Amino acid sequence: MAALRGSGGIGSPGIGGSRGSSPWASTVWRWVILVLAGVYFLIPLIAALRFAGISSFGSVISQSGFTSSLALSVRLAVITTIITIALMLPTTVYVHLRLPKLRRLLEGITILPIVIPPVVLIVGVLQIAPGFLKSTEYLLALVYVILAMPFAYRAIDAGLRALDLKTITEAASSLGAGWITTLWRVVLPNLRTALLSATVLTVALVLGEFTIASLDLYQTFPVWIYVNSQTSGQVSVAASLLALFVTWLFLMAITVIGTRQSRKTGGGSVTLFTVARQETRGD
Amino acid sequence: MTTNTAGNSAATAAGIGQAGHGGGTSVLLQDLTRAFGTTRALDGLSIEMAPGELVALLGPSGCGKTTALRIVAGFESADAGSVLIDGRDMSSVPASKRDMGMVFQSYSLFPNMSALDNVAFGLRMRKLGTAGRRQRAGELLDMVGLADQARQYPHQLSGGQQQRVALARALAIEPRVLLLDEPLSALDAKVRLQLREQIRTLQQRLGTTTLFVTHDQEEALSMADRVGVMRQGKLEQIAAPDELYEDPATAFVAEFVGIMNRIPGELQGSGTVSVLGGTVPVRGESPADQAVDVLVRPEGLTMQVGQNGNGIVTTRNFLGSVTRVGVLLDGDVAVQVDKPSSEAAALAPGTSVSVSLPAQPVLLAPRR
Repeated sequence: MAALRGSGGIGSPGIGGSRGSSPWASTVWRWVILVLAGVYFLIPLIAALRFAGISSFGSVISQSGFTSSLALSVRLAVITTIITIALMLPTTVYVHLRLPKLRRLLEGITILPIVIPPVVLIVGVLQIAPGFLKSTEYLLALVYVILAMPFAYRAIDAGLRALDLKTITEAASSLGAGWITTLWRVVLPNLRTALLSATVLTVALVLGEFTIASLDLYQTFPVWIYVNSQTSGQVSVAASLLALFVTWLFLMAITVIGTRQSRKTGGGSVTLFTVARQETRGD
Repeated sequence: MTTNTAGNSAATAAGIGQAGHGGGTSVLLQDLTRAFGTTRALDGLSIEMAPGELVALLGPSGCGKTTALRIVAGFESADAGSVLIDGRDMSSVPASKRDMGMVFQSYSLFPNMSALDNVAFGLRMRKLGTAGRRQRAGELLDMVGLADQARQYPHQLSGGQQQRVALARALAIEPRVLLLDEPLSALDAKVRLQLREQIRTLQQRLGTTTLFVTHDQEEALSMADRVGVMRQGKLEQIAAPDELYEDPATAFVAEFVGIMNRIPGELQGSGTVSVLGGTVPVRGESPADQAVDVLVRPEGLTMQVGQNGNGIVTTRNFLGSVTRVGVLLDGDVAVQVDKPSSEAAALAPGTSVSVSLPAQPVLLAPRR
């Protein structure tokens, strides 16, 4: 759907004409590239689907370890998201309002988890983490908070940048709103799309993370898929296709909600796409 | 409920005025000082505003006018000095408790709320019931001529409409003081002119004491009861617009407000100056140096067509009833002279003219 809309925009006569070639030729080229890219992305999926076979989708759920590993992953996703947003939202708002000079620095810090390989991160954390944390799954959530930081920060930062935060908070306060009211009634509603993309990206990251979970010896959903592929390849491929589909549904949902929201208030749903692009690069 | 028609908006406004603070608020800025690092944004600023008065602060960017406004609003604090509203010191009162309506330079409407909800926001903060605040917000939108746009969101409104909603929102809380921070500067010329008149009319009708910050002298002169010209954190002069124009206290004010010619002159003894071949009395203080510039407005110069004049017409700029004629005087001095347009036809570029100065007292500035 998004692809069709995009090509319609690109194929507009103004752009094609300025290059000196006819609009018709450039439209053809765009479709060729689109189809090639589509084939590149779709063939592995179709191959996986054929390999798994329809019947194995039914047996995914009854496979041993499926429920517990999925439950663990979902639990981790929820905890990680809550901690991430609780930490990043006030920090980012505060930096935007009071310490705008620190924005560069914060941006630099939040990029670190992408630069540092997950293996290094988890080995380091396991070295220094206190014993009571090492024995629980919450350590994993804390590490995921760090991993999610770049995406959450960028999503919230993009949302804040689309607002004239200083002016609208001052306007709210001159109208009699205290700090909490201003955050709740004025800032948060305008960051809905940004928070939604931060949430979806964090959830997608946690549901898909493998290296750290396996080194910390927890059987999260991706670890289960890997372990299971040793014994029953078809079922584990079916499971990963299901995971992909669910994540895709999430992303579509946020796009739709974001677009509806922005149609109403004139905000940008673009935030998801810029951040989503960074996410694939990070992986 | 926005059933009000434009016809009864005057009655509505009167009702709101009576219900509110009734324009009885006086404002006193006392010796305000504020430094940012090594720059002194405000350097002992004092202004007294009478109830219902509209005072404009005018000055070049960086003169401290916005800082002064923000201190009154409570968004900044002064290093020294105080703000008194009806005699009460506001220093310890946070912005949210000051009862001041503010319209910002940039568009400040809440993007997630309709025009009506934006206007109703302040009333909601004051715990007014849903029906009551909707009705009041509707009345205020009607007052600024936007009753039909009540359901629209800020991004669906034009810049001028957004600022009118912002004005309605600021007035909805019946503020003790209305603060306007260059509210028109982002708008295009025609809208600016309309909104300027609308703000002034409303302000006079409601009798709200208003502090208005602008760098646009035309705006300040046309709207304000009194205009304060600021420079480097200090008030150069505060006076009624006509007084400011006719009788500027300093050379800075004279040159900042309106158009001013500088003509070189020689200071004589006994408070006179020789300029353009004549001698005229000096008004105000004389500079220490003998070489001075005489400051004269374009309408303060007289000009005759003459073969052996002291200047040559270079440009002619038709402004309606008057025409502004550019003249290059002997000694490479460019001046502008206003002539009734009916007499300016003979003054084509290249015409030789003689420019002179009537024997009125003139203001002097050190020569540049």
